[in-house]
Amino acid sequence: MRPLTEEESKTFFEKLSKYIGRNIVHLVDRPDGNYCFRLHKERVYYVSESIMRRATSVGRDLLISLGVCFGKFTKTRKFKLHITALDYLAQYAKHKVWIKPNGEMSFLYGNHVLKAHVGRITENTPEHQGVVIYSMADVPLGFGVTARNTIDIRKLQPTDIVVFHQADVGEYLRDEDSMF
Amino acid sequence: MDVSTQLEVKQQSLTVEKAVPLEFDLALLAGFDINTLDEERLRQNTDKYLKECSRNGTQLIINEIFKLPTNSTEDGTFAELPDQITKIPREKPVPKPKPLTRWEKFAKLKGIQNRKQSRKVFDEATGEWVPRWGYKGANDDGTNDWLIPVPQNAGINATRHTRNLEEGARGADQKSAKEELMKKISISKSATASIGRFDKPLKGEPKIKGVKRKFDPLISDMNKEKEANLNIVNGLFGKKDKSDIINARKARNMA
Repeated sequence: MRPLTEEESKTFFEKLSKYIGRNIVHLVDRPDGNYCFRLHKERVYYVSESIMRRATSVGRDLLISLGVCFGKFTKTRKFKLHITALDYLAQYAKHKVWIKPNGEMSFLYGNHVLKAHVGRITENTPEHQGVVIYSMADVPLGFGVTARNTIDIRKLQPTDIVVFHQADVGEYLRDEDSMF
Repeated sequence: MDVSTQLEVKQQSLTVEKAVPLEFDLALLAGFDINTLDEERLRQNTDKYLKECSRNGTQLIINEIFKLPTNSTEDGTFAELPDQITKIPREKPVPKPKPLTRWEKFAKLKGIQNRKQSRKVFDEATGEWVPRWGYKGANDDGTNDWLIPVPQNAGINATRHTRNLEEGARGADQKSAKEELMKKISISKSATASIGRFDKPLKGEPKIKGVKRKFDPLISDMNKEKEANLNIVNGLFGKKDKSDIINARKARNMA
């Protein structure tokens, strides 16, 4: 476990900012205590200072996880967000997509979001923008990247892809073994 | 036991007799005892004898310290320790002599020595001391004009000049071509998509020395870490996100 280097922080924040924009500030500077990002086995964990201090007494090979895992660095040093970060992404998301009940299961099995399934979308969402996906009852289901901007979506066929799938809560069941 | 005997005992413990006087290095608060140990007493009661020896040695050092000139300040009285006698070997090896420059080599060969020249020279014509060169200088014989013809032999020195420049660029500690090549190899290795992570090592490739991974401490000042993170975030967005001021897409759609 160690703090991120400046370069790592930069790639990490860059990826995070695609979903929550400037709201990263609220993660870094919290009024309810000190929270920090720590790297452990190439994974980035968002953890409170007190828990991080306690975890120092656990050996590196024995420590499995601490705090909330935000994602991991790939071997080419790119950053990949994991579904475990959804709580924070959903809280601070800038652009959102709500999907209709008939599209929920399809998305949760790992498919892209089709136009027919989109219930609502944040106005003025640009193309290739990170979005958080909610059910119509405002339950966060996952996140993805828009294929078109809001205006262009109107012209699409019902079977065309609107949001590319990146992660969904179905992974908790599908990738249970490799998740942690 | 009356008071006089008590005093005597105390006095005895203050003065220690040694066959060979100790050597002191008071700057280190150290004393060196080269007296041989009493083997019989050492055998009988090792601990007690060694303790006594060290106590006596310490007593002698303290006696010696009390002989030093003192210096009393508000905080108390301090003894002024002398300079260190013990020589400690230096940590790093003696630096290697710098390689001689071309001129220094030549000067040594010819036995040329630097001599200090006086700034002023005597001008016999006027009978005055004038500067050797410069304004109203002695060497101003009309060639200090702003325009003078190029001499016939100009350019002969050009090859030497370029050679000197090349040598100068290499620096004082002239690195060998091999060393330089190896350095360049190590730099070029990181020029792949994986920043050299998955490259197979070349045959006879040097192991890069002195490159250490350095990370911030796991537990440090949280506020500093927060500050650093906020700086990075601010760096990502610039001082103010321009898209927040004017949303071009929205403006276009409204028109």
